[in-house]
Amino acid sequence: MQKNGPVALIFHVLVLTFVLAPLVIICLVAFTPENTLSLPTTGLSLRWFKAVFEHPDFMASFWNSIWLATLSATLAVAFAVPAALAISRYTFPGRDFLNALFLSPLIIPHLVLGVAFLRLFALLGATGSFAWLVATHIIVVTPYVLRLVLAALSGLDRSAEQAARTLGAGEWTAFRRITAPMILPGITGGWLLAFINSFDELTMSIFVTSPATVTLPVRMYMYATESIDPMMAAVSALMIAITAAAMLVLDRTFGLDRILVGQR
Amino acid sequence: MAFLTLEGVSKEFGTFTAVRDVSLTIDKGEFVSLLGPSGCGKTTTLQMIAGLVEPTEGRISLDGRDITREKPNRRGLGVVFQSYALFPHMTVAQNVAFGLEMRRVPQAERTDRVREALMLVQLSSFADRYPRQLSGGQRQRVAIARALVIAPPVLLLDEPLSNLDAKLREEMQFELRRIQRKVGTTTIMVTHDQAEALSISDRVVVMEAGRMTQVDAPYRLYEQPSNAFISSFVGKTNLLAGTWRRNGASSAVDIGGVLLEASAPEIAAGTPVTLSIRPEKVLVRDAGAGRLEGHVVSRFFLGSQWLFTIETPLGTMTVSTPNQGGEPPAEGSRVGLDWSPADLRVIAGTAAAA
Repeated sequence: MQKNGPVALIFHVLVLTFVLAPLVIICLVAFTPENTLSLPTTGLSLRWFKAVFEHPDFMASFWNSIWLATLSATLAVAFAVPAALAISRYTFPGRDFLNALFLSPLIIPHLVLGVAFLRLFALLGATGSFAWLVATHIIVVTPYVLRLVLAALSGLDRSAEQAARTLGAGEWTAFRRITAPMILPGITGGWLLAFINSFDELTMSIFVTSPATVTLPVRMYMYATESIDPMMAAVSALMIAITAAAMLVLDRTFGLDRILVGQR
Repeated sequence: MAFLTLEGVSKEFGTFTAVRDVSLTIDKGEFVSLLGPSGCGKTTTLQMIAGLVEPTEGRISLDGRDITREKPNRRGLGVVFQSYALFPHMTVAQNVAFGLEMRRVPQAERTDRVREALMLVQLSSFADRYPRQLSGGQRQRVAIARALVIAPPVLLLDEPLSNLDAKLREEMQFELRRIQRKVGTTTIMVTHDQAEALSISDRVVVMEAGRMTQVDAPYRLYEQPSNAFISSFVGKTNLLAGTWRRNGASSAVDIGGVLLEASAPEIAAGTPVTLSIRPEKVLVRDAGAGRLEGHVVSRFFLGSQWLFTIETPLGTMTVSTPNQGGEPPAEGSRVGLDWSPADLRVIAGTAAAA
């Protein structure tokens, strides 16, 4: 492995500091016993975490977001895997269009999507339901799953599946027993990225949530516009912890570089 | 006793014709190789037999049953892929058991048959390893065991030895033949390696640009190639362009005024022909003796034999002689070349630059 020169080293340190410093600070502030966001703090306290868990609106929003992220990531996998199989294996009219359509939510600003869904739901008279919120999130997170599953399929040796076919497996059995396990890292990585993106989504959700379906980021946004106190830091620290834990599990199970970079 | 039959089988991919009108009859227990350069359609032919590619035209039948449109999982043929195509998430034993599992063979019988198959390929102690923990040769043997354990009527091998290094390849050739002899399965092997095809097959099918050009036993293919391409593709040879002359009972090839006696009953006089003579059929004599004069341009010692490049009035020729222990003619020295007229092959038509 090539060694970095001193300039490159300083550059990397600066970039990492810039990225990590806010996260570290917010996590430190979360443990403050004070009433304001202050650093350095006078001591360590879990009072703001306690406040979060005792705040009914935050807890409702938290479970709401977990459910939303789980459902939308799972359904996105259910849509994206067959779509990726079709796109990577068959040539049919409209294939490139279908691929572009599935990936397009990546390049459309979520603000625009939010306004558009708001209008659409108003026209349909469908505002405020959890199901519609899930639908919008599926649209936003599907590209992540599709990208990773497509990458997994493109690196796949199809002869293993053909071998299974010649050994007597039907098409579905060959997929279930051979292809699916071989692209499982891509599917899992896609699911997790979808989960994180859904869990984290604010811009679009502001427009499409109703008082009954407020997600955690929207709740935090609403709370922060009124007052900023260390409880926000505690919620942030919890979100960072959940995301980091998910990433850790993924890395231990499949290896992050394999999933995100596509190395084997 | 035709077991597997291909009748007028063709495959087109868009405007490209990969396989053109291939008709072939294979007997039960036979070991047949499909030999040809890459892109000649040999793998496509194999895939059509396996059911992985559907023929555009023609008919394939197995033991009297038409299988042309049958799905690969209904054919029950054993296939060994070039990449081996082992299932990376399963152990060796699970890989081998997969076909039996698909056939709903009871657990106890499955275990026995997997053990037997692994014993056949000498991998009994590797049953619980994963493919990534095996060497290339071991993976290849797992692939063979996996294909054979289902007792297929036909075993199809797609370049089975091409991913192995030279020494291992030679060992596996004989191993493959040993296994095939023991099991007695009708086997079709695709290869671009003529030595491999010659050494282990009962019959060799030569394919060029999607067509079958010769089907023969290995030694007949070597001794009586039907065209100049085959004579240079199968083994080494010297190709000399000339004209066919006939004078009563005697006949000869006229190469730039030099007449070389040879026989080829079915060729009409005056036709342009290609003369093929194998390097090992030429004898090196003292200068003045033999049928042709030349001088040694270079010589290479190959251990069991010497390989000479000899400049003659007819062009540069490659000649090999067995190593008899003594010092052979030096580079630059003049020699005479001799051969038996029966060893000359006359092929109608001029050679494509081979």
